[in-house]
Formats: sequence, C-alpha cells, structure tokens
Amino acid sequence: MLEILHRLLFATLDAAPALVFAALGAVLSERAGVVAVGVEGMMRVGAFCAAVAALVMPTPAAVGIGMLAGAALAAVHGFLCIRWRSDQVVSGIALNLVALAGGTFLLETHFGPNGTPPIQQLQPLHWPELASVPLLGALSGHAAPTYLALLLPLLLQGMLTRTPLGLRLRAVGDKPHAVATLGLSVPALRWGAVLGGGLLAGLGGAVLSTTVLDRFEQHTPAGLGFMALAAMVFGRWTPLGAFAAAAFFAFGNALRIGLASSAPGLLDVVPQGVLLALPYLLTLLVLTFQGQRNSTPASLGVPYEQESR
Amino acid sequence: MTLRLQVLALTALLCACTKQKEETPPSGAPAPASAQQEAKKPLPVGLVIDVGGRGDHSFNDAALRGLELWAAGKRYEGGKYVDATPDDVRKSLPGHLSSIAATLQPLPIQPVVLQSKAQEDYIPNLQLLVDRGAQLTIGNGYMLANAVRTSAQENPQARFLLIDSQVLDAQGKTLRLPNVRTVLFKEHEGSFLVGALAGLVTKTNKVGFVGGIEVPLIQRFEVGYRAGVKTTKPEAAQALMSVYTGSFNDMAAGKQVAQDLIAKGADVIFHAAGSDGIGVIQAVKEARATGKNVYAIGVDSDQSHVAPEAILTSMLKHTDLVVYQAAKDLVDGKFTATELLLGLKENAVAMAEVRVDFPGKAEALQKVEALRQRVISGQLQVPSVPADLATFQAAAP
Repeated sequence: MLEILHRLLFATLDAAPALVFAALGAVLSERAGVVAVGVEGMMRVGAFCAAVAALVMPTPAAVGIGMLAGAALAAVHGFLCIRWRSDQVVSGIALNLVALAGGTFLLETHFGPNGTPPIQQLQPLHWPELASVPLLGALSGHAAPTYLALLLPLLLQGMLTRTPLGLRLRAVGDKPHAVATLGLSVPALRWGAVLGGGLLAGLGGAVLSTTVLDRFEQHTPAGLGFMALAAMVFGRWTPLGAFAAAAFFAFGNALRIGLASSAPGLLDVVPQGVLLALPYLLTLLVLTFQGQRNSTPASLGVPYEQESR
Repeated sequence: MTLRLQVLALTALLCACTKQKEETPPSGAPAPASAQQEAKKPLPVGLVIDVGGRGDHSFNDAALRGLELWAAGKRYEGGKYVDATPDDVRKSLPGHLSSIAATLQPLPIQPVVLQSKAQEDYIPNLQLLVDRGAQLTIGNGYMLANAVRTSAQENPQARFLLIDSQVLDAQGKTLRLPNVRTVLFKEHEGSFLVGALAGLVTKTNKVGFVGGIEVPLIQRFEVGYRAGVKTTKPEAAQALMSVYTGSFNDMAAGKQVAQDLIAKGADVIFHAAGSDGIGVIQAVKEARATGKNVYAIGVDSDQSHVAPEAILTSMLKHTDLVVYQAAKDLVDGKFTATELLLGLKENAVAMAEVRVDFPGKAEALQKVEALRQRVISGQLQVPSVPADLATFQAAAP
C-alpha cells in the first residue's frame, strides 16, 4: 500500500511542475486583470527557445532563455491589451496560433520535422537522507523544477496577500480606478504582472523540453496551457489554489495510469475510456463540492481607460 | 467558440481562393485524362497526414518516405525538397527489403503534402489537394476514413488511397467506391513476432504495452503482441501490463505511462502510440541511464535511430511500400480501386533488424524466424481481436 502511494506521489511530483508554473503565470496575469489565454503559446515559445539555447549553452541558462522568450511573447500580449486596449481573448488566441505555426515552421526549417537534436537534460537531484523515509522518499530523485514548483506557490501567495505590491496587483484586477486615485500607474502594474506571467509560462514550457524530454518535439505543449487555465479557475485565482489544482490534475493522471497497469483485471470490468476520463471525473466531483463563491477578478478582461467610470 | 468561427472563416476563404485560381488559368484544370499522356510533367500526388504530423518517426514518416523519398526521389530538408541520392534510398530500406532496392526507381510525380492540425482539417485538406489537381490523393490513417469517403463521393473523377481503414458508410458498413483503393494491414502478425521476441528477452517476466487511442486498429497490435508473448513465455503473458494514453500526440503522457510500467518491473515495452511513443522511448532511455536493463520496441518505422541502445526492434508496417506501389500504378495507368489486406506473407508487416546485443540473441532470433515461417505458411493463425486471445494456443518454437 505504502509502496503504491509512494509511486503515485513520485509520478505526480515528476509530472506536475510544467503545469504548476503555467498555472501560476496565468494567476499572476489574471489577478491583475489581463486574460491569460495565451499561456499555451508562451509555453510553446519557452519550450522551443530553451531547447535551441541548450544546444549552445548549459541547460540551466537555457531555461532562463526560455523564460525570457515566454516573457517576450507576453510583451506582445501586453502591448496589444494594455497599450492598445484590444480584446484580450482574441489577442491571446492569436498568440497561440502564431506560436503553434511559428514553432512548427522554425523547427522544420532549422532542424527538420523530427525535433531539435537531443540536449543535456536537467539532472535529477537525489537526497539520500530522504530516500529511506517512507512516503517522504518520493521527494528525492526529481530535477530542480519540481522543488521550485513546491516553493514558488508559497512565495507567490505571500507576495499577493501579504505585501503592498500584492495588494496593488489584486486591486488593479478588481478596481483599477481605485488604484489610479492613489497615484499609482495602472498600466505599469499590469505590465509587471503580464511579463511575470510570461516568465512563468515560459518556464513551464522550458521544463517540458529540458526535463520531461531532451528536445523540442513539435507537439509541445499539447494542450497543457489550457489545462493550466483550468487549474487557475479551479484554484480560484490564488497561487496556492492553482498549485493544488495542478497537483490534483497530475495526481488524477498518475492514478489512472497506475490503476491500468497494476490491476489488469480491472480493465475487463471498466472500459479504458472511463479510466481516461478519470482525472476529469475527479475534477467534476470536486467542483460539485466546491460551492459557488465567485472569485473571478472583477475587472478581468476589461481594458483600463482613465476617462471611463 | 470564437476560435472555431475564425478557423471556419479562414477555411472558407482558403477554399474560395483556390477555387477561383482553378477557374481562371486554362492549364490548371485537371482533366481525368490517362495518366500516361501527362507523364512528361510530374503528376501531382497528394498526401494528407493525420494529426500526429510530420516527424513522428513512425506512421506518418513511413508514408512520407514512400511518397517523397521512394516515389518522387526527393528529400524534405529545411522546408523544401532536394533531390535524394540512390544512397539515401538504400539506407532507408530495411534488410529484408534490400532485394527490391533496384525496383525502387523514382517516378515522375510531384508530392504535395498537407499536415492536419485538427480533425476538422481532413476534409478541407483533401479537397484542397483535389482542387490543386492531385491525380491521386492519399489519406494516411483511419482517422481520415470519413473524410476520404466524403471527398471521394464529391469528386468522382479524383482517385484516392486510404490507409488503415476501409471506406465505411454512416452505419459503419463497408462501402466500395470506384475511385478509392483501401489498405488494411495485419498488424497482429507483425506484433506477434515482436511479442515472441519480448517473451524471449524479458528477465523480469513482466512486459508492457503502451497504446494510443483504444480503437480496433491499435487493439490488433496489442492482441498480436499478447499472443506472441503467450507463445514464448506464458507466465509473462498473464502479467502483461497494457495502458492506453488516449492520444497520439502527447509525448509527456507516453513518458509517464512508460515510467509507471518500468517502476512496476516491466523490462520490455512495446508501443503503438504515434508521437506518444517518443515519450515511451525517452522513459526507457532514462531508465537505462540509471542502470536498468529495459528495452522499448518501436512501431511502424524502424525507430532504432531515436535511441539506438534502447530499441530492441521495431514492428514495421510498410505503408511506404503501399504508397510507392499506388504511385507507380498511377504512373503506369494501372491504378485500380481494390481492397488490400496485407500481412507477413506479403512482407507488408515485419520485425525490424535487431541491432542491440543480449545473451542468447542468435537462438532467440531463430525461434522468431521459425514462428514467422509458421504464420506465413498458414499453420499458425494469429488472433486479431481480444475475444480470440483466450483460446489461442501455439506450441513454443
């Protein structure tokens, strides 16, 4: 029993980071009132740039490049949505399409369709003193992003709820005019949140190509960005909530895989399709018990205009 | 919703544009004239590949190899075609086909390949190729079955090759159309051989199977594999672990599944999961780096180049040959709408060369070869549906 739990936990921790980072990025952006539909595209750009950068530099530095690339795409989003007050959903979808097609185009013209050449992966870290403890041992043997994914939600939650900056960011997403009357710049705060969100989404993508795989593969991130948005909503737009939701999705997936392989007889009774739907069924179940409090940022998706009321 | 509308509008625009183009220039309209008359100009041959995309090292790449490299004598590099050398062709041929190398002459055709990003792309893509004058349009994959039926009925003058499925009507009954050639493979026969090898190689007596989407096609791989393992190592067949990822384009899912199987002791894992399989191979590669003696078995194309030390063998499915043959028939004016069913006997499925070394390799390969002969001669019927598996019995070689 302990053994099974250990494996489930290990698989969850191994698979969750990319989703966690992307969900945190979406939370940051949306709490400041800018819709983050473009997360999928930012992840893709981050994944591509990190894999290409890792061909010429150490992988940790390449992950940084991937983050910057995500932020660069977010900057386009910010420029359109904050500077020109365009429709934030349309802008995000456009970025997703550009990243999808652009990634495929650059990949095929520079490396061929089979993906970039293999790179040096981020190596797993082992904690021998932890490894012997039951359950906690599952913490050992992951690459650095896993530990960052455990730490970052706490930091972000602290920042958003316990610091003046966090208060202002949240206020910008709920009542931007109130922030403006305090003499603070609404655009500047939103820019900060959008770029920060881009960095995080880029990190999520970079994790996919440097930790999960050892190259950029043309389908990356295969819809994970949209899962991240779901995790954000499910987690009520809070960093800890989004983390919990992302971890929950990853756990549901690990559970489904584990069930199928450890109980072959189960498949004679339960069709594969039901198992495949298990993560989503679990989500539905939890949503049913979650109640109905509305936690959407009040000004989400509304462009800020100084003159309007 | 908005996205769907945008896509629709774009597609409509695209179709409108191509239609107009076809109407204005006098040379553009493709007359269904005898193919031989136009043999001087390269004949356009279209190929629509499924959502797995180009570069899956597997199913789509096999069809692309048949059309681009073998039939057209071209290599796809940096987004355009360059002429391939005879050496490229020879290198792409597996050992058991080296005898046909001389017959693979480049044909006067021009490949036109369209990738599909979503299932909704299939019909517009097929229509686009027909509108651009493709003399033969190939739909690669069972997912295109309905799209090919629609296009073939709307364009009776155009010719189609549908791979991995028959034409089915709305009720799911087989339909014969006068302009569609269909090809089905006996994947279970090839999978039987790799399963037999897996049974001979496994040390832990635990082997795994990773499928993509659970459809009858992929089940044939699984059933054949199970039958093979059962023949050479019955105790491993009991504990065989089979997991479906539910997709063909999510390598992260494939990797997670394979990691799970390896953690549970599997030391040979066969995948039939398109791009997800790249993740399976990645997981095996990483497990080998930590000292575990595990192998992956590739599918459709010889996947040895993805991770040479981790790939035990591959279950080859020669869509490349079928595509080449169809293009050749077209050029020779012999293209007919037939329903093909190809297996080990026709060399259409096979076990790839085993390039890794393991104790008892020569003996194991002999046993597999003996089984192959028995399947070819008809002494041994490999089951293709799960229901027949329980009663399947074959004497160990």
